[in-house]
Amino acid sequence: MAEPSQQEEILGKAYDIRLIRRLWKFIVPYKRLFWMAMLLLPLQQAFGLAQPYLMKIGIDQYIAGRDLKGLQNVGLLFLGVVVGETVTLFFHYYFSMLVAQRCLADLRVAVFSHVQKLPMSYFDRNPVGRLVTRMTTDVDVLQEMFSSGVMTLISDFVMVFWIIGIMFYLHVELALVSLALIPPMAVAINFFRVRARRTYRQIRERIARINAYLAEAISGMGVIQLFAREEKSYREFDKLNSDHREAYHLSNLYEASLYSMVEAAGSVSVALLLWYGGGEVLHAVIGIGTLVAFKEYINRFFVPLRDFSQKYAVMQSAMSSAERIFQLLDTPVTIESPKNALIPKPFRGEVVFDNVWFHYKPDDPVLKGVSFRIEPGEKVAVVGATGAGKTTTIKLLNRFYDIQKGSIKVSGVDVREWDLQALRQHIGVVLQDVFLFSGDVRANLALGDRSVSMDRIEKAAQFANADRFIQWLPGTFDAQVRERGSNFSAGQRQLLSLARVLVFQPEILVMDEATSSVDTETELLIQDALDKVMKGRTCLVIAHRLSTIRNADRIIVLHHGEVREMGSHAELMERRGIYYRLYQLQYEREELKVATYDAAAKIHD
Amino acid sequence: MGRLKTYLWRYWRRYLVGGICLLGTATLVMWIPWWIRDAVRIIENGGSLRDVRFYAAVIGAAALIQGVVRTFSRALIFNAGRDVEYDLRNDLFAHLQKLPLSFYHTQRTGDLMSRVINDISAVRVMLGPGILNFVNAPVYFVYAVVLMLSMDVRMTLAALVPFPLLIFAVAKFRGRILKSSLEVQQQMSALSSHVQENLSGMHVVKAYTQEAFQTRQFIALNEDFQAKSLELARMRGIITPVMQGFNALTVLIVLWYGGVRVIRGDLLVADIVAFVAYLNVLAWPTAAFGWMLSLVERGRAAMKRLEEILKTEPEIASPEKPLPVRGLKQGIEFRDVSFVYGRQNNGHPTLEGINFSLPVGRSVGLVGRIGSGKSTVAQLVPRLFDVSSGEILMDGQDIRKFSLRELRRTLGYVPQDPFLFSTSLRRNLAFGRDEVSDEELARAVGIAKLDRDLEIFPRGMDTIVGERGVTLSGGQKQRATLARALVMDPPVLILDDCLSSVDAQTEAEILQGLREILKEKTCLIISHRISAVKEADEILVLDEGKIIERGTHEELVNRGGVYADLYQQQQLSEELEQI
Repeated sequence: MAEPSQQEEILGKAYDIRLIRRLWKFIVPYKRLFWMAMLLLPLQQAFGLAQPYLMKIGIDQYIAGRDLKGLQNVGLLFLGVVVGETVTLFFHYYFSMLVAQRCLADLRVAVFSHVQKLPMSYFDRNPVGRLVTRMTTDVDVLQEMFSSGVMTLISDFVMVFWIIGIMFYLHVELALVSLALIPPMAVAINFFRVRARRTYRQIRERIARINAYLAEAISGMGVIQLFAREEKSYREFDKLNSDHREAYHLSNLYEASLYSMVEAAGSVSVALLLWYGGGEVLHAVIGIGTLVAFKEYINRFFVPLRDFSQKYAVMQSAMSSAERIFQLLDTPVTIESPKNALIPKPFRGEVVFDNVWFHYKPDDPVLKGVSFRIEPGEKVAVVGATGAGKTTTIKLLNRFYDIQKGSIKVSGVDVREWDLQALRQHIGVVLQDVFLFSGDVRANLALGDRSVSMDRIEKAAQFANADRFIQWLPGTFDAQVRERGSNFSAGQRQLLSLARVLVFQPEILVMDEATSSVDTETELLIQDALDKVMKGRTCLVIAHRLSTIRNADRIIVLHHGEVREMGSHAELMERRGIYYRLYQLQYEREELKVATYDAAAKIHD
Repeated sequence: MGRLKTYLWRYWRRYLVGGICLLGTATLVMWIPWWIRDAVRIIENGGSLRDVRFYAAVIGAAALIQGVVRTFSRALIFNAGRDVEYDLRNDLFAHLQKLPLSFYHTQRTGDLMSRVINDISAVRVMLGPGILNFVNAPVYFVYAVVLMLSMDVRMTLAALVPFPLLIFAVAKFRGRILKSSLEVQQQMSALSSHVQENLSGMHVVKAYTQEAFQTRQFIALNEDFQAKSLELARMRGIITPVMQGFNALTVLIVLWYGGVRVIRGDLLVADIVAFVAYLNVLAWPTAAFGWMLSLVERGRAAMKRLEEILKTEPEIASPEKPLPVRGLKQGIEFRDVSFVYGRQNNGHPTLEGINFSLPVGRSVGLVGRIGSGKSTVAQLVPRLFDVSSGEILMDGQDIRKFSLRELRRTLGYVPQDPFLFSTSLRRNLAFGRDEVSDEELARAVGIAKLDRDLEIFPRGMDTIVGERGVTLSGGQKQRATLARALVMDPPVLILDDCLSSVDAQTEAEILQGLREILKEKTCLIISHRISAVKEADEILVLDEGKIIERGTHEELVNRGGVYADLYQQQQLSEELEQI
């Protein structure tokens, strides 16, 4: 189970100029803040590096020289430097986070709005979870890059040279003695650092395997239990888990060594300084303060070296996250308004399919030369067996997909020449599985269009017979809708979706009638609402209700992706062809129900 | 937290040795400034270079030993944290395997995953770095303060003046940071919920041209998130510099006050050097103090959430003393079985009063509309769910008296929804067995009519299937799951509408092949297609959870009821297909 895939590979180069350049574009709007943060860094380092030096002067010159006034001055200077370091450090961090948060927020919005433009076929191929990860986890990894101080990598190295310079300025021989410690330390640190980096890599790979295995086991738990393979998969999991632990044990050892070495280096350097410098101090060539200052500088020298491998690992995962984000951003938008998009006026509302060929997968055509024409205000029902291409037909009308051959014209203009927004605004869609957004009822009816008045919403709800149940909801139109509308029944959701159409008043209505059974009373309400909604509109309906096909002006029979029959109910029944059989198969049974409804309706009236 | 203690106990040796190393490190760390003081004193008083070098050698040696001991202390304690993590993860996995499907129906995979991943890591951090600093901080403080007091009481008090203030500030900040990071997390999950919902409802978004509005909503949430994150950043940004500042301040106090006293002549520079060194040593534990407390807090909360999962008792489990399963002798029998699925359907039973028997070597067919409860009948046999009343017998014994493992190994259940693991086809097919010969695989593949597909697959049996591999078609997946059950070669086969995505022609061929092996097997066939159950010894028609018709194909067709109706309908649609 759980082979690591190329797509989710977590490791790559730590530094990729192409990616950095693209990331930089997001920083550019905040580049003043960015440079301010960057400029504060050397300042902060200068304040930090001044402290040991001031200590040296305090001890060697004023304490040793018994100069109270001078000590006071150095003390004040020291205080100033401390305050300076605190303030610059804060602002450096805050400004970097400001830049990070702002440009990552921009990045998130860029990704989100790009995804909004992607064609439906993209969402058919890519699971929702993966796209959510791009916008959350992957962006988070980039934030980690900013907050863990990767941006300070360069300046850390600059500081190392500063320290060397200061040490030589203070005392050449002692500087050489101290630097004598550096080569063996550098070699040792490098030894562990390289190995630590290797284990980081292993750890990341192994934890990814564990998580992938776990995710798969959770979704396939039924199979594991049915085949009674719990022990086997436990053994497999244990193997992955212990591999991960092993890698960490090693990594812990390396890290502990690195940490301890750097800690020890400070004290060893003191020993060295005392050993070599003790004599000089005794002979009063240098002061004790110099020894103290040296010890401090050596401490500060090794810390950046120690932290390097961790920052390197962060950099690595940041680069691969950036890579994935940009990949998503580079996904071409294949369906968009053309340059000189048309918005035909006046809108007439006829629909023409002319020899339309369409496939989702090559070599597997769903529509094979479909042609029909719907006049403005005409009600057309589409019928056919499962897989005949009915749903595809309505998805093509508002250009969820582009066809491969032929043309689809709305109001005389090919949908590919239409302004996409305008086209879709003219077409109201009611799908089988009504999707409600979490929020309140009102927002679901107006769908975020704030210009829609409450009055219009209420009227629409009333007209669509949705007001009857809405008025019983707590808070009526402000009642909360849970994710996917799970707190509403199927019938209520359908009524809401019809009301939604009425709010927007599109000229064309495209509908895939729901097949789910609802109680008699709701069914009557839905039928009544449907009649009202369809009135005066060009309608293309995938019919599941007997009443719909009976009330339709024309019926199109789709069979294996072709229009095989067309005409009124009576005509088609007479022909005794596909429709006749379909009718027997799908609708005849309903007649009995309809009789009951009719009876019920009479009582109701 | 009782569970945590058992884990800790398991590794008490590591923690003990690690703790001893920690004390050893602390001792060496604390004595080094003392020896520096001695050395500097000698220098100050104009002593001999030999004496200074003696102390230099002592300090150097101590530093080296300290390096080694510190390495061990950190490695041991951090490793112990990893060990507990390992155990916890394994135990959690083992427990998850015991939980029934009903548990997974109420939990979303994503939620469960993030719990397992994030919470385990929080517990591990608490038990590694958390414990280390928890021990370190007080030890360092006591040590340093005692040694400083023994040097000079007044200086110690002066140097420690900022500390209470510091601890107070840290404690106050810690609460705010914790609260703020919770808010950031909440805002993050609001953001990802929005994305999730937007993507799931993309067809509505597009159909109603809501892209701009959705983006505006996203921007608003994103800005809230940004504001909350910045607030957190501001607080985090304050705490580090303030810590450093405080530390520098104590050094300043020592330098100033100490300097004055040196000039006055009642203190040595050596003492100042030692004091500065002690304060440096204390800098990290002080800074880490608040951090450590929040680690412990987070770890405890995470452990509590993990316990919730670990404490969930599996509703479906093997009995304490299971009866042995010795093949299938008599058969399976449903005796007055009813089943109510949770609170769905307002407590309406999904199945009611189901009675039938499936004698060994025979086959029973089950048909009915979607939602008639036919799949539920199938799921009750391997105990994916337990009956609400009545009983299911295997060889005359209630199936709840057998061990789950043995019961399920007797049954080859092929679900409607094909689930394959993302590994090679071979490993998927062999999933139920430890060792499978190529002949056995080939036989199963042949019956499931997967052989033709295999020829097209780029790497044949070694083709990687599943989410990330070659995408198999729905029909191919269903046939693969059928083959997987056949490879296990169980005495009983339960086919839960498992050929629904297979075209009629192939289905007929598969059924033909199955009939051969069905002679030696006991079989429950569930289907929405009459053709699949036609030849069964008995056919049950299910409607709204009740058996409404039963008999052989001929009997039912002649009766002219629901079954006959269904049969006619399917003949019609077959005819339609032919046109």
